Amino acid sequence: MRKLMIFLYLFLFALVALSQQRVLQIWAMGEEAKKLNVMAEKFVQENPNVRVEIQAIPWSAAYDKLLTGIAGGQLPDLAQMGTTWMAPFGAIGAFEELTPYLAKSFIKKEMFFDGSWQTVTMNGGVYGIPWYVDVRVMFYRTDILKEVGYERAPQTWDELYDVAKKLKARGEGYYALSLLFTGVFGNEFMPFVWQAGGKILDEKGNVRVTDPEFVQAIEFYARFFWEELAPTAGGNLFQDFAKGTVPIFFSGPWMVRMIDEQTPEVKGKWSVALMPKKVKRTSFVGGCNWVIFKNSKNKDLAWKFIEFMTRPENQIEWYKLVSNLPAVVEAWNFPELANDPMMKVFRAQLEDAMSPPNVPQWEEIATAISRRVEEVIFKKRTPQEAANMLKRDIEKIVRK
Amino acid sequence: MKRFFCQLLSHAVLVFFSLSMVIPFAWMLSTSFKKPHEIFVFPPRWIPREPTLKNYLDLFRAVNFSRPFFNTLIVAVSITVLSVLLASTAGYAFSKFRFKGRDKIFLLVLATIMVPGQMTLIPVFLIVKQLGMLNSYAGLIVPGVASAFNIFFMRQYMLSIPNELIEAARIDGAREDYVFFKIVLPLSRPAIATIAIFTFTGSWNSFLWPLVVAQDERYYTLPVAVSVLAGQYSENLGLQMAGSCVVILPILVFFILTQKYFMKGIAPLTGLKY
Amino acid sequence: MKTSKFWVFVFVGPSLFLLLIFSIVPIFASFLLSLTNFNVYALVDWSRAKFIGFENFKDLFRDELFWKAFFNTLYCLSIALPVTTVLALLNAVLLNRKDTKMKNLFKVCFFLPFVTNTVAIAIVWSWIFNPHYGLMNWVLGLFGIRGPQWLSDPKWAMLAIIVFVVWRGLGYNTLLFLAGLQNIPQELYEAAELDGANAWQKFLYVTLPMLRPTTVFVTTMMIIGYLQLFEEPYMLTQGGPMNATLSIVLYLYRQGFKFFKLGYASSIAVVLFLLIISLTVLRLRLSRE
Repeated sequence: MRKLMIFLYLFLFALVALSQQRVLQIWAMGEEAKKLNVMAEKFVQENPNVRVEIQAIPWSAAYDKLLTGIAGGQLPDLAQMGTTWMAPFGAIGAFEELTPYLAKSFIKKEMFFDGSWQTVTMNGGVYGIPWYVDVRVMFYRTDILKEVGYERAPQTWDELYDVAKKLKARGEGYYALSLLFTGVFGNEFMPFVWQAGGKILDEKGNVRVTDPEFVQAIEFYARFFWEELAPTAGGNLFQDFAKGTVPIFFSGPWMVRMIDEQTPEVKGKWSVALMPKKVKRTSFVGGCNWVIFKNSKNKDLAWKFIEFMTRPENQIEWYKLVSNLPAVVEAWNFPELANDPMMKVFRAQLEDAMSPPNVPQWEEIATAISRRVEEVIFKKRTPQEAANMLKRDIEKIVRK
Repeated sequence: MKRFFCQLLSHAVLVFFSLSMVIPFAWMLSTSFKKPHEIFVFPPRWIPREPTLKNYLDLFRAVNFSRPFFNTLIVAVSITVLSVLLASTAGYAFSKFRFKGRDKIFLLVLATIMVPGQMTLIPVFLIVKQLGMLNSYAGLIVPGVASAFNIFFMRQYMLSIPNELIEAARIDGAREDYVFFKIVLPLSRPAIATIAIFTFTGSWNSFLWPLVVAQDERYYTLPVAVSVLAGQYSENLGLQMAGSCVVILPILVFFILTQKYFMKGIAPLTGLKY
Repeated sequence: MKTSKFWVFVFVGPSLFLLLIFSIVPIFASFLLSLTNFNVYALVDWSRAKFIGFENFKDLFRDELFWKAFFNTLYCLSIALPVTTVLALLNAVLLNRKDTKMKNLFKVCFFLPFVTNTVAIAIVWSWIFNPHYGLMNWVLGLFGIRGPQWLSDPKWAMLAIIVFVVWRGLGYNTLLFLAGLQNIPQELYEAAELDGANAWQKFLYVTLPMLRPTTVFVTTMMIIGYLQLFEEPYMLTQGGPMNATLSIVLYLYRQGFKFFKLGYASSIAVVLFLLIISLTVLRLRLSRE
């Protein structure tokens, strides 16, 4: 009888304890989802009576899942949100506006990179907090470029074109750089527009793709294909880079680790550099932000988690786990980043990086841009013609 | 002599086409055992010099293919069993029952075959969402159970069952379910086998619907998992090939074991008069 | 003697019920959706969808990408249909010959592509068509031909897809023809021989006419199937390059499930339905002559 009583007491105690426990539900994607529970464990240590449940969603399904989650009311408290997705989902009204939370917190706009903060503000409100960033830089084979006379990476558009021609001259089957040319490649192409000083939309919402800067960027991009400086057929980026047939490409920080893993034989023979300059050296900044959903019942707890992840020491911890670049500027002062020569390049690039317009129709716009640029690449239209068509396309898209 | 030459030519053609059917599978199998640096070589290498099981191990450890495999099995078996049951009962009714509007209703059923799946994809998606069946086994299984094609097929086949057998049993006082289970069903074995094979294969390989219904990896079926794999690990072709092998192998085995029945079953299809 | 309502209900009821919910109602709903501007905002809140009459169809008519998809799909059909039919018939005839050995082995080989999952095998085919490392260009190279860029070349991409599509359907259709051939009574051939017919004449005057129902079935199913071309371009090219391989259903998918313009996508579905119906009816009418 006594045993039964003890058991019952313990059972009741457990029940009470569990019910006191608050559960924070988070949706995370890709690589991040796998490692996030390491950080979650630390969070739970600081906050007893809290449990964190992380749901892992592959990137390819995430867009649909979020959409149907919003439509069906099945949402978590907190989610990782790609920067280009802030606008479409924000426009539906799914996210909590965070200005009141910012007022009472150590988190401030100045803690983050400009390009990154751009992605969380819409219509004057703040709808997310940057978590990590990625920025594209130039990856190149130092040894091969030396062979054609370039002791350092090409610094300007002209130098890029020049080194490309020299690299192509090595012979049949050799190319200079890898550029996307099919599918939706807005993110690959836009930096060239920004480097030329162009833009898609201006402050008043007018479409500016027929400005000479934009057209110039289309022409510059397409020329790499016209003169076969960039291949128009798939291969394998890692193998081509290692073999030297494609010694230059543009990509983000995740490639650093992947190159070492996939093709260790090129260790020490490659490096990264800033984007080439036309008027500016702007690159594409992406990354992920944290958003709290309006329907969440644990908004304060979710905010606490955001604060936890925004602390510089946790930002650098996250970098060590997954190699995602911290969105918090201060985190870059830690030795792991400050003393790494490659990371210095990423840091410098982050000072001059932009993201596409934060509008709900970005997916459609990016598709339209890719389509018109593709037409120029395949010589179906001249750059000016394509720009004119694109202007019509985008005006139609934003009008609806 | 001419006879021999004809025979040689005939076999040569058949061998050529058979080989072209098989070669992609051979390549798939071979690549699934290769390390990355052996895949993108020219000229193509058939037998890897350093074969490895890593791709398969990664598949089940790092990527978790076992859940989609399990899902696909559950879904395909459920759909097949339910669909065969429903189609044979309905087929029996349309062929051997007499009731008002029988042929008109059958024509309606027939008409739905003409409609492409993509046309109903969007409304079915919305309906399933309203019923709360998104991202669940119910959502994966239920819409696939009623197949107008299966009903049509069973009805055509059962038309050829002699009425006397059935009438005799009815006169003896047998109820319809007895007639169905004890007389009609056993006589319809080839047809049942045929639609079972079609249905199982179809639902095992179904891609578009599970892609749209499943919202997270818990409910992925194998085809969806493979395409997700292709997207996430686009540079790891060996892993993708291993994934493809896993998807294809079971159905291949299933087909080889049951192909005898299948060949018997499709004969009536081709005798349809228009 | 009428069957009792109870049994009708039990035997037909479940099927009809499910068909109603998942086939018939959706068909009508699809017609309805195509008359609205249902988009991503409406997904959250149905009242945000507005009735816009035939606006979608008007836009569709002026949509050059839709027409591209339309002609791409017809282009695929116009090549894949005759090629598959002829090759399938050829192989079936050869398989049917008395002195063909290893019939079962051939049959299994032929059916392999059909039972397999398009998605999985598409990955292999995208490699086969790889201009640098792929099997296709390697084989062409053995004959001294320099292969094109295939999936990256707007001129060749659709042809590559067609090769893949034909490969997929050849086996299934061969076996269908084979079943049809095996149903032709031997006496007819013997009678023709008595009349002095040679092999080719036997084929023309006995085989082909007797194969009519099968041919009609095979070609009709192919029309219906090829017009719904989706998985092959989805897996291999996503519609590119330059939308050269954009098929009607792929465009529908893009509009409906990438941009969530479900109203517009439904109008594409309606047009596709009408296209399938008209081509099928045309095919069947032609076969009556």
